[in-house]
Amino acid sequence: MSHLSLARVDKFYGRVDHGVHAVQNVSMDIEKGEIVALLGSSGCGKTSTLRMIAGFEEASRGTIALAGREVHTLPPVRRNVAMAFEGYSLYPPLTVRQNIAFALKSAKLGKTEVDARVAEVAQLLEIEDILDRYPSSISGGQQQRASLGRALIREADLHLLDEPMGQLEPQLRAVLRGRIKHFVKERGYTAILVTHDQTEANALADRIAVMEGGVLQQFGTPSMIKERPANLFTGTFVGEPPMNVFTARVAGDDGRIVLELPEGVTLAYPAGAFTDDVRRTIRAKGDIVIGIRPYSVRRAESGVEATVAVNQWLGDQTHIAADFAGGIIVLVEHDRTVLEPGRTIAVEIDPAALHIFDAATGIALAHGMELA
Amino acid sequence: MEHTSTLERVLRGIALSLIVLFFMFPLFWIFLMSFQTNETILRIPPSLFFEPTLGNYKALITGKLDTAAGSLDIAFMKNLWNSVLLSTSAVVLSLILGVPAAYAFARHKFRGSEDIAFTLLSFRFAPPLLVLLPLTIYFQQLGLADTYVGLIWVYQLICLPLILWIVRGYFEDISADVEYAYRIAGHGWFATFRKIALPLAGPGIAAAGLLAFIFAWNNFVFALVLASADKQPVTVAALAFVTASGIQYGQIAAGIVLSITPTLAIALYAQRYLVEGLSLGAVKG
Amino acid sequence: MSTLELDDVVKKFGPDTVIDHLSLKVADGEKLVLFGPSGAGKSVLLRLVAGVIRPDGGTVRIGGADMAEIEAEDRGVGMAFQNFALFPHMDAFDNIASPLVAHRTTREKIRTGVEDVARLLKIDHVLSHKPRALSNGQKQRTALARALVGQPPLLLLDDPLRNVDAKLRFEMRIELPRLLADRGATVVYVTQDYKEAMAIGDRIAVMRDGRIAQLGTPEEIYGAPETLAIARLFGDPTINLLDVVPEADGEGLHVTISDRPVRLPAALRAAAGKPCVLGIRPESFHFVEASAPGAIPVEIEAETPLNEKTVTLAVTRRDRELLISRPAGTPAPASGSAHIAVDGAATLLFDKGDGRRIRGADDERRAA
Repeated sequence: MSHLSLARVDKFYGRVDHGVHAVQNVSMDIEKGEIVALLGSSGCGKTSTLRMIAGFEEASRGTIALAGREVHTLPPVRRNVAMAFEGYSLYPPLTVRQNIAFALKSAKLGKTEVDARVAEVAQLLEIEDILDRYPSSISGGQQQRASLGRALIREADLHLLDEPMGQLEPQLRAVLRGRIKHFVKERGYTAILVTHDQTEANALADRIAVMEGGVLQQFGTPSMIKERPANLFTGTFVGEPPMNVFTARVAGDDGRIVLELPEGVTLAYPAGAFTDDVRRTIRAKGDIVIGIRPYSVRRAESGVEATVAVNQWLGDQTHIAADFAGGIIVLVEHDRTVLEPGRTIAVEIDPAALHIFDAATGIALAHGMELA
Repeated sequence: MEHTSTLERVLRGIALSLIVLFFMFPLFWIFLMSFQTNETILRIPPSLFFEPTLGNYKALITGKLDTAAGSLDIAFMKNLWNSVLLSTSAVVLSLILGVPAAYAFARHKFRGSEDIAFTLLSFRFAPPLLVLLPLTIYFQQLGLADTYVGLIWVYQLICLPLILWIVRGYFEDISADVEYAYRIAGHGWFATFRKIALPLAGPGIAAAGLLAFIFAWNNFVFALVLASADKQPVTVAALAFVTASGIQYGQIAAGIVLSITPTLAIALYAQRYLVEGLSLGAVKG
Repeated sequence: MSTLELDDVVKKFGPDTVIDHLSLKVADGEKLVLFGPSGAGKSVLLRLVAGVIRPDGGTVRIGGADMAEIEAEDRGVGMAFQNFALFPHMDAFDNIASPLVAHRTTREKIRTGVEDVARLLKIDHVLSHKPRALSNGQKQRTALARALVGQPPLLLLDDPLRNVDAKLRFEMRIELPRLLADRGATVVYVTQDYKEAMAIGDRIAVMRDGRIAQLGTPEEIYGAPETLAIARLFGDPTINLLDVVPEADGEGLHVTISDRPVRLPAALRAAAGKPCVLGIRPESFHFVEASAPGAIPVEIEAETPLNEKTVTLAVTRRDRELLISRPAGTPAPASGSAHIAVDGAATLLFDKGDGRRIRGADDERRAA
């Protein structure tokens, strides 16, 4: 049995089956020691899911089991879950140190032990110098780190982190991501974080659950979500810059595949570019949507023409946007590239890098050589 | 937290019902009284069952009050009209003066602006009796005693601070950027006030106007002293029912019902408008 | 088109000086980005230019004309706000039309003007919606349309992409420069996002505490930041900063990382023996074989993917943390121990005392 298991969980606000269906039939199994991110934009149901796991909301239907016991009927205190809140929820009359140590109250540890553990998380989160200040006198970023400290210091069956880094100082984010991941992994904690920021989800999580409209769209490793998105939503939601997307009609004869894009742009692939299965599937569909990750688009000597619209250098990457097939195609290059707007370039799209979706349903048909 | 048991829900329902009963009962009882004669009202023990009569209302509307001691002329409808005239005029005047002033206080912080605003509010702190005597003397010397103008002037003193403070809060809640955006779009400050600030503070202005109206309507002591019978509002006129031959409970009750009807109607109407207005939302982006 | 000149502008809110004797010139048709942390005074500066707040000193000139006596409604600028500042009681059409309505144009002209800009920004299908019925992205485009519709020669954009999600922000970051270039307007653009600043600005003015800390092209600011604080504001992950004392040697200058020497440009020789901070951008590190020249041994702590990059948190032998980034998809170093190398010429050296960058000979040449 998994460490945490959600089985067919529904959440209605208002009457069951009539109110707002915020979480729809979500099932998820999370193993011990895993870090899982619930990723989605606001209103997608991720926070409701987290709150049901924590016990702040009742599941309208379905079961939640943690560490071998059914917890969905238990009040929050009896679920043995540690949580860092988005709004920090620090106790104003206590100092940062007391706030963090407060989480250890029920563990009945000796003073030296408590001090040592507070010192450890304080160092991890760079809040040593504000330990004796009160929450009202520190910045939002510092409050968020204190709140994280209060959650991380506890040993619990599950650590829940609600938008744990949204307010962190940008300069600290990258290094804290690394440290927190190291800390959680070292102790074998199981953690769920809720975030709208895919960078954070990708950086911290072993697996990501992408949610939209109350529905779990896909649950998989970051690389799986990136390389094998289950549908057009996941494909375009995850990835920065976002995936390039074009509608296409499938044509061609024999083994050849010709993809007819808008404005007369065609991508022709010789026999053997796709496996027989993929070719049959997309031929049968006729109308498809193709997606190409910006880093998979290559500039070539010859290929399909595109006109450079914008060239943006960001210090360590260059983002090039070019007019292509009635839309824009974005390329990412890892060094400084100067291409004046208006210049014509040739782009090459490797069939192995193509994501193919059903035009009507958005469900993935194929990723490169493989059927979805 | 939503771990509410059935028992909790039942108990909560009972508690709420009790509170509603406690507050609604007097109103309900007065409403019943207005359809009874003095005899049925005063019988012991009191009963919910009686033969309803429209006599009280008839007496008020025709102005003929029949008591055991004989027939008496009362001018209740005239008094009701006085209340409407005085309260409405005072609120309108206060809105004309108060809304622009509130806008100025909200948007232009100048040295001492906070003090001036507070001084205006402090008029509300003074007990009316404190100013009543000097006011009466002034009014007699100025010839304002027992005139509508004089009364409206005094009523307006009750309304203005209220409107000023409530509306100022609403103006302050409008993001300055929204007004800046309209200015930058090429509109002068007055157009911005009229087209942006006023509509957005509309619900607040309505709420403040309503509250001021109720305060003005319920005023008793200024009107008692400064107005003679033909200019008195209903609050003062109710005294007429305390007659030589006893207190006319039935007519008092009918008078109360008639006099709270306008305020109640306005409150109900404005409530709908308020809810609609407040859900306009997005003022803050 | 129009120029903008600020000369010795001062603005105080009570005892706090928010704009501190600031001077700035924006050329005709230039796109200038005001970049800095919150509270630096960027938004206040924009409102001073727009004329909705008044400076306590100095002059603002638009197109050469002194604005001291000119009201906001007569300055003819367009502005978009971070919180959109849409008029909640007007539909999208009336919102966008408001700058045209002010100028007594005909109804027909207003309609075509609004519809043209709405089509350009892809919101022509929601013109009859009130702001509360618009999505965040549509609100933001409506606000932008309102700023653009009057074809103002000077456009002020106050962090217009802040309140939209990452995907929309990226799309607009690509769309906006072209839109602005087509209009030919002079643009002052406020942002807290360094990527937006670099993508959109011809020049970037880095603001701190009501002053301009550095003014330059994206290349100058990223490659040659004046101070340590500015260096930290650009780059994701943030630049690595190591306390070092450079030592002079026969060939020039070196510092020590993980007990190994890293050569610095000889031009920085003046820094020898002084306490300094060495700044190394995460992408300047490369994983190398142990036998490679200049290889620095490190222990790898964690690997975290970041957009199209992979970021490695590593620790040196002296327990110093380093962030190393490489393009996604390039081979990962073996976990545990690894070796890295860095080109000394790609590093930045700052004075530990005042945080200013120590300039080498090539800097002096560039300055001259």
